[in-house]
Amino acid sequence: MESVNDIKEALSARSRTATLDELRSEGRRRVRLVRAEQIAQMIQEAVHSAVEQSGLIAQEEVDALVEKSRIEFKSILREREAEVQKAHDVAEALAEREAELTELKARFAEVSAALAQTRQQLAQAPAAGGGPSGDMVMSLMQEVANLKASMAHPAQPQVAAAGGGDFSAAIEKLTGTLNDRLEKLGKKMGVSAAVESDAPVDFGGLFRDADKQIESNMANIEVKQKSGGGIAGNLARLKKLKGGG
Amino acid sequence: MTQHQNHNQSNADNGSDTAIALGKGLDVGTANLAAAVQNDEGGITVTVERNAFLDIPSDVYSKNMLTKLKVPYIVHNNKLVVIGEAAFELANVFGRETRRPMSDGLISPNEQDALPMMKLIISKILGEPRVPGENCYFCVPAPSLDVDNNVVYHQGLFESLINKMGFTAHAINEAHAVIFAELAENDFTGIGLSFGGGMANACIAYKSIPCLSFSVARGGDWIDKNVANVLGCPRSKATHIKERGIDIRDPKSREEEAVAIYYRSLINYVLQNIKSRFESGQNMPSFNAPVDIACAGGTSMVGGFIEVFREEFAKIDFPIPVGRIFRSEEALTAVAKGCLVAAAIGEG
Repeated sequence: MESVNDIKEALSARSRTATLDELRSEGRRRVRLVRAEQIAQMIQEAVHSAVEQSGLIAQEEVDALVEKSRIEFKSILREREAEVQKAHDVAEALAEREAELTELKARFAEVSAALAQTRQQLAQAPAAGGGPSGDMVMSLMQEVANLKASMAHPAQPQVAAAGGGDFSAAIEKLTGTLNDRLEKLGKKMGVSAAVESDAPVDFGGLFRDADKQIESNMANIEVKQKSGGGIAGNLARLKKLKGGG
Repeated sequence: MTQHQNHNQSNADNGSDTAIALGKGLDVGTANLAAAVQNDEGGITVTVERNAFLDIPSDVYSKNMLTKLKVPYIVHNNKLVVIGEAAFELANVFGRETRRPMSDGLISPNEQDALPMMKLIISKILGEPRVPGENCYFCVPAPSLDVDNNVVYHQGLFESLINKMGFTAHAINEAHAVIFAELAENDFTGIGLSFGGGMANACIAYKSIPCLSFSVARGGDWIDKNVANVLGCPRSKATHIKERGIDIRDPKSREEEAVAIYYRSLINYVLQNIKSRFESGQNMPSFNAPVDIACAGGTSMVGGFIEVFREEFAKIDFPIPVGRIFRSEEALTAVAKGCLVAAAIGEG
């Protein structure tokens, strides 16, 4: 292992890096490629041959060294193959995330535009004689916040961990910008941009004792009742306001 | 076709305004619990019970006596617990304080034992749902300006309780319910104020949409506490003085004078806070025409309330033009009625 690394370092130190365009400009159309592992193998074979011919080491020891080298080589090969596969997976995941991000950006732009329009309508509501409800504004804010949350928490965090550092930084930057804009917008609208869980809180457990059979005479007691004016007029007005009457 | 057919939860689609819509309204008040439902005559029936209880030692004689007198009780932890109005009356007779499941508009952290009692009272006044999952709109206070209160816990607790009774519970802001009950002629535009036992709630709405809601943790109990402090009597006694039919414009005794002073202070406090909130708040609606102020709630039922309210209102430079200032003719039950309107139309 160390020998291969040493060879890689030695090659790096004694070689230069050139782009394909540079090579082309030097008149080179084809280049021959050789892996550091292959060079290491050649050196090992050369050393093995030299040692064998020198008679300094016994044949058994030479065989043992060869076997050890073979195992070491296979291990290195497997590692490299795994790295190649991982790089391939990362590239695929990155492409997927980029497509998703593009889609989210487009959706965010749509929702932002709708929110701005709603905000404008809300500001003009009393003069215009009608306007969107607080629920509607809240719903839009919630949608924007959900989008923000989607962009802030990519589905596969290993992408960033496996080398997508730039991508991760881009998302963080974008999220930061969105956060700032949402907070400013939310403050102006008087609506919180915080994302809350939709799951209702169930306090039913608190009434476990209340469910027990309790001795009481409540069933036989008449409760005070009052009569009041009807609500038909109120309902008719409300329906009219809601556009149903 | 029966009256209830085809209504189910889509009450808003009901074409006839005279038919009985499904849905019930529940005012979960610190001092009183009230449930409203439409009756066969086209009006509403409101069932009211005081939200209080009193425990007394349990023995056979007391139990028989309470049964004969038709005083509602339950047996809890080997004690007889008298519930509702009777508890209030007994407390006055014996010079004791009633125990209150709620304080400052919210479920009281000091009365965890009270949940079974509240469940029984609510179950009694609300009755059974007429169809499974019938809508029940119940009121909750708005976040308070002057105390740090947990409305979420309070709301969740009553949602669970009402759902367990077979209804589908929906919360509505207390003062918003006043607007639903009292400002129909104004297209539900204006200011609704609910002066309850534990809090005063305010809501400003435009065409039924609430623009601003808040509460202050002062109400009838705050008056009782202060009156009791200055007179050196139990709070139940102070409540009794307040509710026996006095006129706060014309107090006849030292006790009534104390009540009048604290009433005026409460009204002024609420008005100052509305004004301040209007002046400092963002997103405040700008009304082109003067808006009406509707007052409701048990604390507003004292004689002379609305006149004193108008006097105090005239003293401050209110930031928006105001038209009528009036008290609901059904002040004690207006919130329950507003909840019923919301339930019948599926609004909230």
